[in-house]
Amino acid sequence: MIRFDRATKTFGSLEALAPLDLEIKDSEWLGVFGRNGSGKTTLLRMLVGLSQPSGGQLLIDGKPPGPEDWREFRRSLGFMPERVALFDNLTGEKTLRYFARLKQVDLGEVMPILERVGLADAAHRKTSDYSKGMRQRLNLAQALLGDPKFLVLDEPIEGLDAHGVRDFFELLKSVKGRTVVFSSHRLPLISRIVDRICILSQGKIKALGTEDELYEQVNLPVRVVIHPADSASTRLAAAVDKLDSASLVSQNGRLVVSVAQKDKLRFLSDLQALSSEMHDIRIEEPSLEEVLLETG
Amino acid sequence: MKRVDAVWSIARKELSDRLRNQWIWTVSLLVLAATLAIAFLGAAPVGVVGAHGGGAILASIMNLAVYLVPLLALVMGAGAIIDEKRRGLLDLILAYPISSSEYFLGTFLGYALALAIALVASFVPTGVVLSMTTGINVFQYSLLLVLILGLGTSFLALSFLISILSRDPARGIASSVLVWIFAVLVFDLGLVGLLVGFGGQIPAPAFGAMMLLNPTDVFRLIAFTWVGSASSPLGLATVSPPFPAVVLVSAMTAWAIVPLWLSHRLFQKRLALDRLI
Repeated sequence: MIRFDRATKTFGSLEALAPLDLEIKDSEWLGVFGRNGSGKTTLLRMLVGLSQPSGGQLLIDGKPPGPEDWREFRRSLGFMPERVALFDNLTGEKTLRYFARLKQVDLGEVMPILERVGLADAAHRKTSDYSKGMRQRLNLAQALLGDPKFLVLDEPIEGLDAHGVRDFFELLKSVKGRTVVFSSHRLPLISRIVDRICILSQGKIKALGTEDELYEQVNLPVRVVIHPADSASTRLAAAVDKLDSASLVSQNGRLVVSVAQKDKLRFLSDLQALSSEMHDIRIEEPSLEEVLLETG
Repeated sequence: MKRVDAVWSIARKELSDRLRNQWIWTVSLLVLAATLAIAFLGAAPVGVVGAHGGGAILASIMNLAVYLVPLLALVMGAGAIIDEKRRGLLDLILAYPISSSEYFLGTFLGYALALAIALVASFVPTGVVLSMTTGINVFQYSLLLVLILGLGTSFLALSFLISILSRDPARGIASSVLVWIFAVLVFDLGLVGLLVGFGGQIPAPAFGAMMLLNPTDVFRLIAFTWVGSASSPLGLATVSPPFPAVVLVSAMTAWAIVPLWLSHRLFQKRLALDRLI
């Protein structure tokens, strides 16, 4: 288990991470989200020991790690940094063999891992000939060397198209049971596969929890879009008036009502009485992107 | 993982990368061509054309080494470490079970081995030709080769310091060329200027000590002392007092170790502050 205990990071006068409390449980998949400059990469760099907290501390299994603890921790760590340019002059196989030696992993693991990430056929091609998706898979392959217990993936789906993202997620299924920390600014995509979400903004945790808990914490209103019959508007306005938290706007002949989550059921119940005066109704829960924008 | 294995893994990768670099082999070939030309023409100043006159030839090869070896070493190491950082590889490698000191040492070792191979390839064939044609003292030539390797290592250590100070490969190359011009050309002109300015009245120990401030002059002094038969064309080295061998060797060693130690310290400090580039 890893815990940030009031950990901070400053660069001169710039506070990249404000005092931060965060616990990452064993086998948990945690998604770290935020806009560019929100502190995601700083958090991940601290997590793998590339950057030390300016204040507070990072605890691994309950104690602050010393140099030898870091060495031990990194034996069971797989790290996939953002925008890494692997060795252009080496083949995929030679690249992995180099990293396998650094991790003192049996070189016999190299080809099976390349097969696992779908690069066996390209193993003997130079990585300079690889596509973006292939490079990402090779990058993941080096992170998977030695069957790590802990994976830290910084923007792993950055630049991948929809197929690439789907393939990448398929690959990740094989590491279920491991602790995985992702960072991304593509929240809706990653939120499907993580257990908890941590939203960072200006170096602070703005929201932390499961997807449902996040909706509760942020409490964005639900939108009810109504296609009314001619006379519905007045009665609808009356129904909205009963609720303190609701607001009504008219858009292209539709009525859009924003209702607080706590009033949602009551409003829908009131609306039922007007059902004969409506052609159609659509209920829109806020998206995770809206949650991210709201918190950011 | 054993520390030595980690260092060697990094060194092997760097060595292989450097040896793939065509620029190094091009320069090595040029140096080889120049040394072979000297082997046949080097005694021309003393009126002998052809592979004769071993002492003068050795002196010419020494002078060639003073110009080209520092340049090769400085340009080779100009982007060391910083380039890896810019490509994101440094972060990746340091997230493996390897310390930053092991990484630093492994990188320097890889560069130093590549430089040594390039220098051996440049100077040994000429030595073989000379030993067969002029009966040159093989021991003296071997000693010269060791000195050339020491000179190269000193400037490679300087190039690591320049690279980490400059934070950018392009700026690193520009700074390296300036350091080369200063060490090879400007420094000695400055000393000559001082000598003339003081009417030749600078005490010999003080003048000698000033020469120790430049690794190319340390190289010349050692060559002057140890490869003595070729002393005549060695410029300022001939007006310096003879130093005990231990002082000269210590100075040459210091020129390799001090810049390397400083660059390691700076690397560690900037790494800790996340300000390597």
